[in-house]
Amino acid sequence: MSEFIQETEMAQEALLEASMVERPEKNQPLGPMFWICVGWLALNIIGAIFANVLPVQNPLNQDYNFINSGPSLHHIFGTDDLGRDIFARIVYGSRVSIAVGAGSMVIGFGIGAPLGMLAAYRRGRFDTFVTTVMYVFLAFPAIIAVIAVLSFWTPRSMLKIIVVIGFASVPLVYRVIRTATLAIATKDYVIAAKVQGATDRRILMKELLPNIAPIGISFLLIGVATVVTLEGALAFLGLSVNPPTPSWGNMINESRTILAENPWLVLFPSLALCLFLLCLNFIGDRVRSHFDVTEVKL
Amino acid sequence: MNPDKLLVVKDLATTFNTSAGPLPAVGGVSFDLNKNETLGIVGESGSGKTVLARTIMGLQPRTNVTVTGSVLLNGHEMVGVSEAEKRKYWGTEVAMVFQDPMTSLNPVMRIGKQIDETLRVRLGMSKDAAKARAIELLELVGIPSPEQRYGAFPGQLSGGMRQRVVIATALACSPKLLMADEPTTGLDVTIQAQILNLLEDLKEQFHMSVVLITHDLGVVATRTSRIVVMYAGRVVEIGTTREVFTNHRMPYTRALLESSPKVSNPSHTRLVTIPGRPPNLLKLSLGCSFAPRCAYATNQCHQQRPELQSAEEPGHSFACWNPLPSKREAATQ
Amino acid sequence: MLKYVIRRLVMLIGIIFVISVGSFYLIHLLPGDPAAVILGTGDSPSNRAKLYKLLGLNKSIFDQYFIWIRNVVRGNLGISFISQTSVASTIRAALPIDLEIMGLSQIVAFAVAIPLAMRSARKPDGLVDRLLGATSFTLLSIPPFIIIVLLVLFISIKMGVPNIGVASYVSFGTDWIVNLESLALPAFTLAIGSFVVYYRVLRSDMIATLQEEFITMARSKGISQRRIMWRHAFRPSSVALLGAAGVNIGGLLAGGFVVQYLLAIPGLGYTLIAAINDSDYLLVQGIVLVVSVGVVLINFFFDFVINIVDPRISRE
Repeated sequence: MSEFIQETEMAQEALLEASMVERPEKNQPLGPMFWICVGWLALNIIGAIFANVLPVQNPLNQDYNFINSGPSLHHIFGTDDLGRDIFARIVYGSRVSIAVGAGSMVIGFGIGAPLGMLAAYRRGRFDTFVTTVMYVFLAFPAIIAVIAVLSFWTPRSMLKIIVVIGFASVPLVYRVIRTATLAIATKDYVIAAKVQGATDRRILMKELLPNIAPIGISFLLIGVATVVTLEGALAFLGLSVNPPTPSWGNMINESRTILAENPWLVLFPSLALCLFLLCLNFIGDRVRSHFDVTEVKL
Repeated sequence: MNPDKLLVVKDLATTFNTSAGPLPAVGGVSFDLNKNETLGIVGESGSGKTVLARTIMGLQPRTNVTVTGSVLLNGHEMVGVSEAEKRKYWGTEVAMVFQDPMTSLNPVMRIGKQIDETLRVRLGMSKDAAKARAIELLELVGIPSPEQRYGAFPGQLSGGMRQRVVIATALACSPKLLMADEPTTGLDVTIQAQILNLLEDLKEQFHMSVVLITHDLGVVATRTSRIVVMYAGRVVEIGTTREVFTNHRMPYTRALLESSPKVSNPSHTRLVTIPGRPPNLLKLSLGCSFAPRCAYATNQCHQQRPELQSAEEPGHSFACWNPLPSKREAATQ
Repeated sequence: MLKYVIRRLVMLIGIIFVISVGSFYLIHLLPGDPAAVILGTGDSPSNRAKLYKLLGLNKSIFDQYFIWIRNVVRGNLGISFISQTSVASTIRAALPIDLEIMGLSQIVAFAVAIPLAMRSARKPDGLVDRLLGATSFTLLSIPPFIIIVLLVLFISIKMGVPNIGVASYVSFGTDWIVNLESLALPAFTLAIGSFVVYYRVLRSDMIATLQEEFITMARSKGISQRRIMWRHAFRPSSVALLGAAGVNIGGLLAGGFVVQYLLAIPGLGYTLIAAINDSDYLLVQGIVLVVSVGVVLINFFFDFVINIVDPRISRE
């Protein structure tokens, strides 16, 4: 039945019992895939930041010689129905995804994380009050709120999108960080530090933070992935950045009407988006399992 | 096969194939158990007693584990047979009482149902008959107001109560052999005696044999007829309780006995400890596993592993090249 | 138990109150004169007068809220001046479609995820487990709107039809076969996302549960493998699954909306997006309110069910 599990359990038990001297501590290795994903993400980010200086065409430039063309020497990924280079639009489009993803997470974590840590550590009235407020907001389906606010709060801009999504993510970040901090703050070694007279600040920095970091980072990455997906969905609702600014979501959305004639317009941005998400998810997952000591395998 | 022998264990060895190499948790254990007998298995943590208990029952996992030897339970071989085959005897011929009642009961299932289950699935009883029998069993193990408690969740009971429920579950199908793996270690000292007494009473009532596994010598002293002493996965001494306590030959047994604090000692008596640590089973030496810590170790002890040899009293054997002098010999001299 | 329920009910009321305030205030986020924006193309003195009367726009904001709430409670979500139909009836017509899609998708998701997760938990790191793990991880990274677009692309290329070869929606009562046909694609797409979540959650929880001592004890009683998996291991694990379901269903909305819109299925999602595009703000506000309250109620319901399955939670 659960042979492998019981093997792990019993062997671990036997091993631990027998070898008090050496305990092989093997964290799940990060692996080569991990670094490949990191590399891909880095590539995307570099592309987004340095798009201006890279040998990439102007994404708004309409090349009338090549309308709806497939990949060619002139246009690596082909062109869309207005003759714009798809590759260029993908590179520039990554700016939107990355900016929205990173920007909103900065807001979400910038506000949610410190609050969560503080509340979990201090407890008391501060904690009860803030947590109740946050839980009320949590119950409100965030996506609806984002859609609602963005559709009413016109005219749209990327900044507004980042702000709205950012604030919408604060309650969730708060809850995750608070739960994680709670789990650690009640551990004996933190209480021990307190009893020894360590200041709150010192405890936060030296005991809590290093232990929360893995979960936090993992969640951050998954959060970015979620937000990037959300931007895509918003683009389909017409709630993302306004054309002609390229964004991956916009491009996929625009491609719908001309699917049969120009499949490249949907394939490449979709590929770009999915690969980006895949890498984020993978890295987030690996970070979590690498640091999760309870999952140590023999 | 001798019909009086409920359990015959011969050269039983359990090895885990871990990523760090083969781990011989149990190596070459042999003993037998008579009907209506209580056998104690003592040893420190890491001596392999729990692995031994589970292997005897057949509860060890199938992958990455190698079991050799033979276990004859009432004539049925338990080693090297399929899980389905072993399952026939689980609950009906042999049952186990686990160490920690907090974790061995399903927390989201009512205790009544957990007892029922065996009755209905293994004995084919009807729902009502099973419930009636379950309530009987609860009463038998000393749980007050069993009809009300029938529907309780494990979390609503105290530690001692939970262990009684575990015992009731184990006894539901009247097995002939009860393996009790550290049944009182997780309980308050005051409850420990109660549970052990309960086990003794039930053993009489159900005409069972009990294998009592523990690290606590005080537990085995008065409640077992024979003792097996284990160290590093092997049997180092075996004999009647009285013999092992008063005329032990293997130095480890002496060390074990001496390291239990005695209430009768004057206050501030230093606690005797065994120097050193239990061995790393991954790197067992060729000699006696206890040699590094033994005050009487000779060269031979470090180089060659001693086999069990018989002492004067029949049924008493020990594994040692340099045993302690026998008190019988001394007496007759 | 009772205390728990009361506590949760109080929270529920509080949350609904906040939602109502939020939904109400949306109109006032609009730039410019709310009346003008709401009326849009239907701006005329008589309509203006009607609007002012309906919403009490000339009164203080608090009064406006109370008027609005009073209307809402009576079932009057206003009349869309753009489409000239009552918001409430539009919503009432569209809602069953969403429910049906969600229901279908969840049935499929659970039906596939549960057995597969149990299989993987029984033999972790086996071939099946690794395959499923990689597949589910990949699927996780493909947003539903892309799935739909790709499916549509695939179908239109395969079938050479520029439109989707899908029957357009009819209600269940009219022709249930065509009904199911038309909803199959969106339900399936949503099922994929849900499946991934349920599979992973259940698998990891089952693996953890199977390591518990009480499973060994159940084994020692001679209980069969199958019974142990379903009766002993599944129940504690199902708590996590229900939790995931509660969260997931809330999140289904965004994906669901887009999918509906892409396939022109007239559920709430489609209606909402169309309303946004038409600047039909009263309708948008109505939908936001209804959907938010709906999600909250669903979560509340799930909390309640979880509590029945695992009573430990209410005692804490």
